[in-house]
Amino acid sequence: MNILEIKNVTKKFGDFIAVDNMSLTVAEGEIFGFLGTNGAGKSTTINMIAGLLRANAGEIKILGKNISKHSHFAKKNIGIVPQDIAIYEDLTAYENVKFFAGLYGLRGSQLHERVEEALKFVGLSDKHKSYPKGFSGGMKRRLNIACAIAHRPKLIIMDEPTVGIDPQSRNYILNSVKKLNEMGCTIIYTSHYMEEVEEICSRIAIIDHGKIIAEGTKEQLKAIITNTKDVWIEIKPMETIDLNKIQSISGVKAVQMEENLIKVSSDISVNNLNTIIQCLINDKVEIRSLKEQSPNLETVFLTLTGRSLRDH
Amino acid sequence: MELLFILNKLILWLYICICYLYSNHISTPWFVFASLVYLCINMSIYIFKKASLKKGVVFLSIALILLSSFHIYSFFILLLPINLYELSANHVHNKWAIFTLLLFPIVFIPNNLHPVYFLTACFNFMSVAMAERYTFRIANLEDKLDTMRRDLQRLTKSLNEYHEYIKQSQYTLQLEERNRLAQEIHDQIGHSMTGALIQMEAAKRLMDIDHNKAKEFLQNAIHISKEGIENIRITLKHIKPRAEQMGINRVKLFIEEFSAQHNIQIPFVCKGNLEVISPIQWKIIYENITEALTNAMKYAEATVISIEIHVLNTLIKIEVKDNGKGAEKVTKGLGIIGMEERAASVNGTVIVDGTNGFSVTTLLPVNQ
Repeated sequence: MNILEIKNVTKKFGDFIAVDNMSLTVAEGEIFGFLGTNGAGKSTTINMIAGLLRANAGEIKILGKNISKHSHFAKKNIGIVPQDIAIYEDLTAYENVKFFAGLYGLRGSQLHERVEEALKFVGLSDKHKSYPKGFSGGMKRRLNIACAIAHRPKLIIMDEPTVGIDPQSRNYILNSVKKLNEMGCTIIYTSHYMEEVEEICSRIAIIDHGKIIAEGTKEQLKAIITNTKDVWIEIKPMETIDLNKIQSISGVKAVQMEENLIKVSSDISVNNLNTIIQCLINDKVEIRSLKEQSPNLETVFLTLTGRSLRDH
Repeated sequence: MELLFILNKLILWLYICICYLYSNHISTPWFVFASLVYLCINMSIYIFKKASLKKGVVFLSIALILLSSFHIYSFFILLLPINLYELSANHVHNKWAIFTLLLFPIVFIPNNLHPVYFLTACFNFMSVAMAERYTFRIANLEDKLDTMRRDLQRLTKSLNEYHEYIKQSQYTLQLEERNRLAQEIHDQIGHSMTGALIQMEAAKRLMDIDHNKAKEFLQNAIHISKEGIENIRITLKHIKPRAEQMGINRVKLFIEEFSAQHNIQIPFVCKGNLEVISPIQWKIIYENITEALTNAMKYAEATVISIEIHVLNTLIKIEVKDNGKGAEKVTKGLGIIGMEERAASVNGTVIVDGTNGFSVTTLLPVNQ
């Protein structure tokens, strides 16, 4: 079942078209990544899904129901971690989560349980009486996540949750995203850090100037650029090797040798590095160094748009 | 607009009538007479078509207003601003100048009428000025709608023409190919076959008389046949023109011409296997490049426009990028919309970026 359906959605701010006839579906159980530069239209899209902005044209459905007609239903099923941290500095961590969960209609002992559960999930149970004033950026962010998940939404939207925080908190957040997904949540994750997106997302949409320019799994996206990956193997000079043997390894498309450097091009979907190395070792060839070159999402973005993800 | 003027006048006139009824009326017949004349004159303004006649009638109305306000009932002066507006609107374009003109008569009228006159003038001015603005806007929008409609018609027409053109050129191409094949068959195969046939006939006759001679003739026939077959193969290879040669040459030719005409540098780079680009995609590429180049020439003030066709694994990327002034905010004109539509017809997209120079990138999927 599709948890989110966006159909021909356009959003204009005056003359400026922030989102341009965008269509997209997210299936239940995915971690869906929005990848794009600042100002590409990621946050605008998310704000429209959350019901904070109204689209000029098109339709957005959550679990098959139009969000403008069933806004209550939609809001109950969405949890949002906004780009700018939204917590009250004058309330304790516990009170913050309780407040936000209370907005969704949770009451009494259920409310208390859920709040404790959410705080425990983000690793802040020991801090539940402290005020966020003294928290680090990462802790504030985690508290913000707790606020968004206490009502157990089916779809969690995280808008750049790792901007401006320390690496440790970042790892913690990435892990909790994976954990939430294992627990059955669908997650939409936006970022302009392609490593993060590459690591956790099962499907990715590359957005630029309000349009989806490419969409698919990481492998599909990389396959846009090329379907070969190259491995350079430096061996001891003056060695003689049988290139035909390497050529016959499954997935290998071409083998070239220049002086003591072997270049093996093979199909990107085949993992044959072990076999190649094994083959060389069996022939008693001494390997000096090894370098693999395959496209990453950054190269995909750069090739498609001519701009780097972090230019701006 | 005219309706609004009439309405304005009517409201004021009714107001004056009511005021008159509540005052100690002295000369009712004259008041009624003046009112009727005023209504007649003001209705007749809109009957005339000629501007000078209209103006004359407005003058008449103003004279009547002045006369009746001094001799019959002072409130008649309230009808003055709207007539003044009518008179001046065609000549004075500054709104505030008109407003001061409307207020000017206040100097000559009795003190007790000042506030009412001021309010009337404001009321008239505001309602009419606002209405004018909206009519202007509506006219503008209608204009735009008209242009769009014309463009739509033009586009549909050219679309139809393109379909026709494609059909036509397909047919011509077929004919040409057929002709060429016939010619080649005649020249190559016919020739060889006849040669071989003669040799074989000779061999048949000599078979019983001179065995060795017959063998030689047969060998000749085999040679000729072999050559013939080889020729056929070569011909067939040469006959088929490759799509990418036609497409790329067309693009190159256009770029060279454009570059020479406008005295601008246009570096052109192709990467990847161009053979995967289909003829229809070449057509889109050609049209988008021409459009983007024309746009760059018109707006960018650039010195270099670089063009790149890059065939990736599953996508074809065509980028036209200039080093001009770019645009912070890109507003889509018909040109860009046209490029988008063309790309969308083969499931492609167009990205327009104005942050660093101006670039138009067309992405088309490779047909598998």
